[in-house]
Amino acid sequence: MKKKSIISLTIISILFGFILVLQIKTTNQPEIKETRDVWKLREEYLAAKEMEAHLLQDIRKAEEKIAQYEQARIHSREQVLNDTLEELRTEAGLKELTGPGIVITLRAANTEIYPNLARPYLSSTILRKMINELNMHGAEAISIAERRVIQTTVIREIQGETKIDGYPLKKFPIEIKVLAENKEEAKKLYNMMQISSIPDDFFVDNILLEISEPLEEITIPPYDGEIRVEVMESIGEGADS
Amino acid sequence: MWLPILGLLIGVTIGLLADIQIPPEYTNYLSIAVLAALDSLVGGIRAYLQNIYDEKIFVSGFFFNILLAISLAFLGVYIGVDLYLAAVFAFGVRLFQNIAIIRRILISKWSFRKKEKK
Repeated sequence: MKKKSIISLTIISILFGFILVLQIKTTNQPEIKETRDVWKLREEYLAAKEMEAHLLQDIRKAEEKIAQYEQARIHSREQVLNDTLEELRTEAGLKELTGPGIVITLRAANTEIYPNLARPYLSSTILRKMINELNMHGAEAISIAERRVIQTTVIREIQGETKIDGYPLKKFPIEIKVLAENKEEAKKLYNMMQISSIPDDFFVDNILLEISEPLEEITIPPYDGEIRVEVMESIGEGADS
Repeated sequence: MWLPILGLLIGVTIGLLADIQIPPEYTNYLSIAVLAALDSLVGGIRAYLQNIYDEKIFVSGFFFNILLAISLAFLGVYIGVDLYLAAVFAFGVRLFQNIAIIRRILISKWSFRKKEKK
């Protein structure tokens, strides 16, 4: 064999040996043998356990947060709706209200002192006037003879009898409770009633007006009738308000 | 004749010393290359024993076979056919044939020498 051939054969042999070993090394990846002793293993196990605990804690925290957010989301929506509903109910007069205010009592003028007085006559016009005046001066809520006055309350005369929402007002004394926003407002209301001409108007019809000092707490009953809405219709879902 | 064996040992040593790791994805290609190289080597030895050894054919055959085998395997991966099996098959068959021929030649030479001694 020529020398040149020997050399090329050698080079090729080197190459072959090289790739052969590479192949063997790649296919026979030595298995990692367990050489750690029990204590080492135990330590590593503990470390892994700790890690697991940490991770679990983290997961729990995250889940808690998610739950919180979820709850807040649901709750807030509900809460807002509930709040709005409550607000509307309050505004519509469907809730009992308590707070400072004044009590106006309508009494029949004493017929014994003035024997020739006619029977007292409660005029719906004057009553309405009084309610308007009270409202004008900051009354939050008004009840007449324990009947709540709301937006749709009707005070009118039916067959010679003054009625509020259909209930006759003929038994004296009639208590009119006026709720104010706070004590000062109650005081203002009281002062306003003192200088008002309404007592005179009532007196014309033989009714005496007694105005209480501003009270710390009066209770206005809720409206117990049905609110009939005639000229109103609901907006369709999704419609612009 | 000892030089090629020495070369083989040198190659093995280099391979062992060099810390080269082939990614497992390429094991197929490497195995094919090994097979092609082995086939070329055995073919060279056979040609030498048959006195038809040609250096150019041997060297070009070595590299060309390796390249072809790897290309086949590569193509096989891309068209979804295990084409490297074709190379394995071809090289395997040829390896057996060549080794058989080498064995016959060696045996005939050996018996020829025995006869001469007698």
